[in-house]
Amino acid sequence: MKNRKYIFLLALVPFLLVAFLYEIIPLIMIVINSFQPDAGGGFTLENYQTVFSKLLYRKAIFNSIKISLTSAIIGIIIAFFGAKAAHQHGGKLNSVFMTVLNMVSNFAGIPLAFAYMILLGNAGFMVSVGKELGIEALANYNLYTTSGMSLIYVYFQIPLSTLLLIPAFEGVRKEWKEACTLLGGGQTTFWTKVGVPVLMPSILGTFSVLFANALAAYATAYALMMNNISLLPIQIAGCYTGEVKIRTGLGGALSVTMMIIMIIMIFITNGLSRHFQKGVARK
Amino acid sequence: MKKKNIGAPIVMLIIIIYMLIPLVVSIIYSMFDKWTSIVPEGFNLENYKTLFTDPAFLATMGRTVLMCIIPIFVTIIIVLLALFVTTVYFPKLEKYVQLICMIPYTIQGVILSVSILSLYVSSPTFLSNRLVMLFGAYCIIILPYIYQGIRNGMRAVNMPMLLEAAEMLGASKMYAFFKVIVPNILSAIIVSSLLAVGIIFGDYVLVRNLAGTSFQNMQIYLYQTMKSDSTKSSAVFVVIMMVTFIITAVVLFLKSREGKQHAEMKAKVKE
Amino acid sequence: MSYIRFENIVKNFGRNEVLKNINLEIEKGQLVTLLGPSGCGKSTLLRCLAGLETVTSGRVYLDGKDITDVNPKDRDIGMVFQQYSLFPNMTVEQNVAFGMKMKKVPKEKIAAKTKEMLEIVGLGDKLKQYPAQLSGGQQQRAALARAIVTEPKVLLLDEPLSAIDALLRHSLQVEIRRIQKELDITAIFVTHDQDEAMVMSDVIHLMYKGKIDQSAKPTTLYTKPETKFAATFIGHYNVLSGERFAKICGEKIDSDDIAFRPEIIQISDKPIESENCYQMKGHISVSLPHGNILRYAVDCGGEQVDVDVLFTGTVPFETHTDVYLSVKKDQCIYL
Repeated sequence: MKNRKYIFLLALVPFLLVAFLYEIIPLIMIVINSFQPDAGGGFTLENYQTVFSKLLYRKAIFNSIKISLTSAIIGIIIAFFGAKAAHQHGGKLNSVFMTVLNMVSNFAGIPLAFAYMILLGNAGFMVSVGKELGIEALANYNLYTTSGMSLIYVYFQIPLSTLLLIPAFEGVRKEWKEACTLLGGGQTTFWTKVGVPVLMPSILGTFSVLFANALAAYATAYALMMNNISLLPIQIAGCYTGEVKIRTGLGGALSVTMMIIMIIMIFITNGLSRHFQKGVARK
Repeated sequence: MKKKNIGAPIVMLIIIIYMLIPLVVSIIYSMFDKWTSIVPEGFNLENYKTLFTDPAFLATMGRTVLMCIIPIFVTIIIVLLALFVTTVYFPKLEKYVQLICMIPYTIQGVILSVSILSLYVSSPTFLSNRLVMLFGAYCIIILPYIYQGIRNGMRAVNMPMLLEAAEMLGASKMYAFFKVIVPNILSAIIVSSLLAVGIIFGDYVLVRNLAGTSFQNMQIYLYQTMKSDSTKSSAVFVVIMMVTFIITAVVLFLKSREGKQHAEMKAKVKE
Repeated sequence: MSYIRFENIVKNFGRNEVLKNINLEIEKGQLVTLLGPSGCGKSTLLRCLAGLETVTSGRVYLDGKDITDVNPKDRDIGMVFQQYSLFPNMTVEQNVAFGMKMKKVPKEKIAAKTKEMLEIVGLGDKLKQYPAQLSGGQQQRAALARAIVTEPKVLLLDEPLSAIDALLRHSLQVEIRRIQKELDITAIFVTHDQDEAMVMSDVIHLMYKGKIDQSAKPTTLYTKPETKFAATFIGHYNVLSGERFAKICGEKIDSDDIAFRPEIIQISDKPIESENCYQMKGHISVSLPHGNILRYAVDCGGEQVDVDVLFTGTVPFETHTDVYLSVKKDQCIYL
């Protein structure tokens, strides 16, 4: 009877097959590749040396971190107020709000870049409006730079982060607000002393999702700039799909660097969040 | 104390408007000849007419649908089988299955596509076929969503209890799982499949890196028309967004219906 | 003039009338209970005093001042909620100190008072703990300390013990009462549990469907209910319509309803001969042991009459036997 149980392990085979073929082995290989010369064989740290010495790649790392941090910070701040508003105000507007957020949460990549080109590109609608009304900031808006692109990144962060934060607000109990009021604290006191600290683990968790999301975003940047921008995902893809021959070593090193940046961010946010979780019961 | 807080509606309105502006502007753009000043000129729907009579576009549509169906189907089957074994017979293995399923969530498209590409591009077997690589990559990229959907569904129907009940009535574990549990979590499976459709439909990076521009999906098609004809591409854009929205709307509808059923069930239990 | 006064309080939630013209006065230093079934408006009335709900019409007075339009944070009211009201991100100490910080009390004084108050509620050793590390009962003690440390004019307790298991609840009831008397606090206690109300209160205000049904001392409320609802909700009275009862006992009854408690009924397997009593004949349909009493449900001509007998070890009557009941006329309440 006991041995029969093991027959069922066969049902795991298809899952493991797909996972190994297309997830585990490729990931292991990319790490191995990063320590090998492009031609394969041997062990070298040359690829990492290139990554950290060549200005192009250093800039890519810097730009990627910068755009990911800015868009994640702005995104999380807007999401906080958005989710707070949704938490406080029910009714029709709330359901419209939720529907719109859900709808645009899939709005990213090429279509989003396209919409922004129409909106803020060189001959974009907002740019013409800016010119006509003499609003310098709009008239001279340059979408085709890292900071110009940040706006698009912020755009796709907002629905994601708000939708992730809204459930967390349900954990903010009415009793805390009422107790705070009766003890003589106002709205601001409540949110700074109780609300935000209680929500902090969720805020940090969402933040790290946003950061990873922006760090790995490829299509948006590519649609606007093709390979002419130093961002990590673009440079990584460039190593494999460029006109010149495939550079698996360098591409591997860049990929590993990107994964390490993500892991560092996860560690930082987890560490901070543990600090805030001290007193909060963990379920 | 219940002061009407006008701050909240204002915040929501601003976000709604901010989210809708790019969409609205693009939709208007697709329906006019020219838009160089503030007011667009020459309303017409020519763009849509040419688009829907263009065989290349229709073929792209078909291809995209095909690319959604196969990986989603495969992934659902393998995840269901894996979860059957781990939840029923080997609960200790479950956390490894979970780990494998959640990794793609953090690595995302670029790294996944280049790692698959570099591994198989020079393989002498069928694995070097670009479409095979693409399907494999799609299976992996939707894995977290399918896994979580099915797992949450199992949790919601209280699977251990249902399984025990079915077994007491004389059903085998396998029969109970596939005939009792799976039908009960069907709506969860549908919801997560639709989310997966949304992801594959919106994919650009995997198809570009793995299949190149030779194999067009909707996103590639949009990208290419974008470079040649911006008003035509705005029509493509609108079609893509419409499809995405319909998918989201169906997901929302199914979820709210499910939520209602759960609420009703709970209310009945309480009585 | 009384310390707290509700004057013609009306509260509507949409079309739903929750409080229907409440008039109530509460004396200083007392612990009064608002007792009633869920949905009777007792919590709403409490929240109107705290300012957490606005009244639709009517005035609320506290310590001689009209506070109807005063901001809740300036009302000087302490409150203990049903549960989960401690700030989870702060230690017990920080929770208790919160109100004094808001009032800008000097630091040394905050520390001293916090410690003193936590000693009083029996949490002197839990200063640095977080709420999640405390049991439900300890959390409520801490919440109590937080509510009274600022010396509010009145302490409101909104079913503070209903989430705590029965055994611990009794000791907390006694303790809250002790602290309230020791510190001479005016307190309003909301509960749906009549035993709890009996144990704790100086005065009970029984509420029913948005109105005050009866206000009395606990013992008076038990022995002299004035309404049918009071009779059924407190002390488990048998309440029968006068007309039906007249048919059962064969005597003329003047009042609309008659009520009598189960333990004052005499029960026997032979007819009982006694003066000034109503006599009934019935049939035991169910018997249930309730701790030290046995409760018989007796079917008297289609009406159920509950009879309590002290349970001393032997079961005097079996189910499905015919019995005779007798109840003294002057012990009945005519409603």
